[in-house]
Amino acid sequence: MTSIEPSPHPWRVRDVLAVFARCLLGTAFLYMGLNKALHPVEFLKLVRQYEVLQHPLLLNGVAATLPWFEMFCGVLIVLGVAVRGAAAMLLAMLVPFTWVVLLRALAMHEAGGMPFCAIKFDCGCGAGEVLICRKLAENMLLAALSTWLMFRRDHRLALRDRLL
Amino acid sequence: MKNVKRVLLEALLVAALGLAFALGANALSPRGLRLNRNYFPTAAGARNSALPPAKPAQDERGQTTNAPAVANSTGALSAALRRLQEHGLQPMGSNEVVQLFRDPGYEQGLVVFVDARDDAHYQAGHIPGAWQFNHYRAENYLDSVLPICLNAQQAVVYCTGGECEDSEFAAIMLRDAGVPREKLFVYAGGITEWTGNKLPVETGARLSGQLLNPKP
Repeated sequence: MTSIEPSPHPWRVRDVLAVFARCLLGTAFLYMGLNKALHPVEFLKLVRQYEVLQHPLLLNGVAATLPWFEMFCGVLIVLGVAVRGAAAMLLAMLVPFTWVVLLRALAMHEAGGMPFCAIKFDCGCGAGEVLICRKLAENMLLAALSTWLMFRRDHRLALRDRLL
Repeated sequence: MKNVKRVLLEALLVAALGLAFALGANALSPRGLRLNRNYFPTAAGARNSALPPAKPAQDERGQTTNAPAVANSTGALSAALRRLQEHGLQPMGSNEVVQLFRDPGYEQGLVVFVDARDDAHYQAGHIPGAWQFNHYRAENYLDSVLPICLNAQQAVVYCTGGECEDSEFAAIMLRDAGVPREKLFVYAGGITEWTGNKLPVETGARLSGQLLNPKP
């Protein structure tokens, strides 16, 4: 469905919110992806710190492709192309990433004994050092927006919101 | 159910296209990573070290020169010293590094300092006369730095210090490229300890003549 064509029904509040959500989600991933793509070595070091990926090919593969992939999905979301599929991919990235960030923060909390929300580190999110509670809240918001966009039936101001 | 299936199929399509785009962008980007390269070479040679386990360096009075640094910091530096030992690399303490810096052999190229950080950090300030060797872009530096290290009697590699491991990776890469391990040392305190001791720092390019703290 191409929503640039006249829509069968007038704009509703939810349509406006969905466009706003797409802009927010898309630009957030564009910004974070660009920051990582400009500094791939720094991102590579941060990915390594999670000790999830050991093999160099996997480690390099994630560090080399993830930033560009985030930007790709961000552009699709903003332009309104394959919105549901792109939102699903963003959700698929957000959930495991938030989980490993949480695990690392918990490990730091146990090791250092400092209050959980006072923990601050560069999680590799593309925004530098962040307070963990703020990061988790941000990620949950982005995940909620992704989920909502994923299940919306149609999108306004979208070039081609469904490919299939 | 049909709707969910469509979303999943569309997600797979996005994943395939996105992956192709990402691989292409990484390959075309001048900052792109090489997928098949090990940027963190630690295991190779670590267990086969011909050297005895690395000990903290001592100065001419037999005092352990790493000890103050370790005491000052912290776990990060002692962890670095432990890693050096595991990788068969020789640590060098602050006092010994300063002695080498003031050694006449430094000007003759018999002693070489190697800065393992990236361009921005190197330009912001490095040990005067140090050669840059950013091992993540080894192809840009190895041809010039390797002969210098091979001809030197001692090569001291450093990075930021603390939790920075780049000096270790750079030293391992130099060792793998042929620099005898007996010649290679890692200054674990790094530029942070160096500047903290108010020692001279050169900004800009190597031998730019722009010095901070010129008279230690």
